[in-house]
Amino acid sequence: MIPLLLITPLILLAALGAVWKARPVHAALLLALSLSLIGGLYLMIGAEFIGLVQFMVYVGGVAILIVFSLLITRPGDEAEEVARRPRSVATGIACVVPVLGMLLYAFSKGLPEQGSEGAAPSLPIKDLGDRLFTYDLPAVLAVAVLLTAVLIGAALFARNFDKNPEPPADS
Amino acid sequence: MKPVLVLLLTLALSGLGWAGEAGPLVTGESLPRLPQRLVEMILEAVSAPEWLVAIGSFAAAAGTVVGVFLGGFALLSLFERKVLARVQNRLGPNRAGYFGILQPVADGIKMLTKEDIVPTKAEWLLHLIAPVLIVVPAVLALGVIPYGREWLPVPLELGLVFFFAVGAMTEIAIFMAGWASGSKFPMLGAMRAISQMISYELPLMLSALAVVMMTGTLSLSGIVENQQGFHLWILPAWNILTPWGMVAGLVFLIAGIAEANRCPFDLPEGESEIVAGHMTEYSGFKYALFFMGEYLGLFAISGLWITLFLGGWQAPLPGLGFVPSWIWFFGKLAVVIFFFLWIRGTFPRVRIDQLMRFAWLFLIPLGLLTLPVAAVWEYSGRGTLGWLICGAMLLVPFVMLTVFYNRRLAPATRRYHFIE
Repeated sequence: MIPLLLITPLILLAALGAVWKARPVHAALLLALSLSLIGGLYLMIGAEFIGLVQFMVYVGGVAILIVFSLLITRPGDEAEEVARRPRSVATGIACVVPVLGMLLYAFSKGLPEQGSEGAAPSLPIKDLGDRLFTYDLPAVLAVAVLLTAVLIGAALFARNFDKNPEPPADS
Repeated sequence: MKPVLVLLLTLALSGLGWAGEAGPLVTGESLPRLPQRLVEMILEAVSAPEWLVAIGSFAAAAGTVVGVFLGGFALLSLFERKVLARVQNRLGPNRAGYFGILQPVADGIKMLTKEDIVPTKAEWLLHLIAPVLIVVPAVLALGVIPYGREWLPVPLELGLVFFFAVGAMTEIAIFMAGWASGSKFPMLGAMRAISQMISYELPLMLSALAVVMMTGTLSLSGIVENQQGFHLWILPAWNILTPWGMVAGLVFLIAGIAEANRCPFDLPEGESEIVAGHMTEYSGFKYALFFMGEYLGLFAISGLWITLFLGGWQAPLPGLGFVPSWIWFFGKLAVVIFFFLWIRGTFPRVRIDQLMRFAWLFLIPLGLLTLPVAAVWEYSGRGTLGWLICGAMLLVPFVMLTVFYNRRLAPATRRYHFIE
């Protein structure tokens, strides 16, 4: 319980900072912080596999992707961003309130009875793999095909077989 | 003087060996765990609470690893300069102490006493955090590698996943260093570093995946135990000595060199091009931290290579099992590190387009190929038939790829349009 109380405010603060910061790189780094703290939360409650995958996919993949796309695009005007803020805040609150209300309602209805008592059920990694590759195989295959297509596509983009590239127009 | 010291040390160690009540306290095998057991014994003797004993024991285990590898870092910084010097027919550092042995100490003092410069355009907080964030994942990754039969700092079931998960932090840290410096060379270096690390992470994971597929476990100690035994009484049953393992091991080694930003893939800090890459605006101890992170990362990636393909702490010849297993691990580590230095002394730096093309068009296809080859090896009986089929499966695409790329991408006569 104590790690939960320690780490959730940090996650929330980092997430708030990620939407509040006007400079995109700061926002992206705060997002990465928030995502990695969520990974830490998973580790603390004993869900090691999902925690490590969270690190690998979200910090190593998604955050890097965001940072990279920030680097190769032109940054927007920060003052403009700040000026737009009141409207953004209003929209944000309008989105957050119903979602939060729904979540709280769902939690108040559907909390499991034995929640606080006893240790959390632990699933050995072998069982997880067995289930993933028998019962959930179609989904895994679909994702695998999709990712392979993405990989081949990326390799095609990287390919540059021009034998005689156009000489740069020099004066 | 020296024989007396050796004798005293032996006496002290053998005394420790019989001091324990339940059998010897320390054998050759469990020597690296001595600090941990001593801390546990002391804490239990003063009847400390259980959680304190657990924390103390864990801190001692972690301290052993960190201590060993910080010593290794100091030694390697000297060893690298010496080896490079010999490759280039020089003498290398030989002023500080006998054989230059005190050179790391001198370097350390120099680094500590240098002025710590933060550029005015830098973001001081990110500029400060970045070097720390580069060292942390390297240390964390060192924690899950099995160094010996009894020396596994953190016995984690998901060791391999953990290794790659903490490695993800390095990329963010390098980006932070490059961006927060507020200068163009660090930025360029960071962009190079990130694109290189993302590209080479794929072949790295694919080749590690082949090992996981054949072993059926993600635990690194499980992978080492799986490589026990010998073929034909003399050839160790290491993964590198199987057809799929040869290719996967080679792919992993090359990708590992690139992940560690070592020559010939050291473009992120290419001195002759972009000053020092993401480290340009760092000085003093922060600069030293970058180097520490790099060397510790090198130790980690070579340790993982040894664990996955070179049999970890297993002895290389039958009948040598009496030597403590961690000695074998560190012997292999020394050989692999020397191999890296040799490569650094020999190969020229590649160009950035060659670097990316090599990863995406050559290493990733080969890495993907190791997975079906490993499956064929498993179901063809792991024998002569397997060697034939797997060899054909690997050689034909390899030759096709090389011929194809040679025809399309061979280094042609370069024309420099601006010079003409």
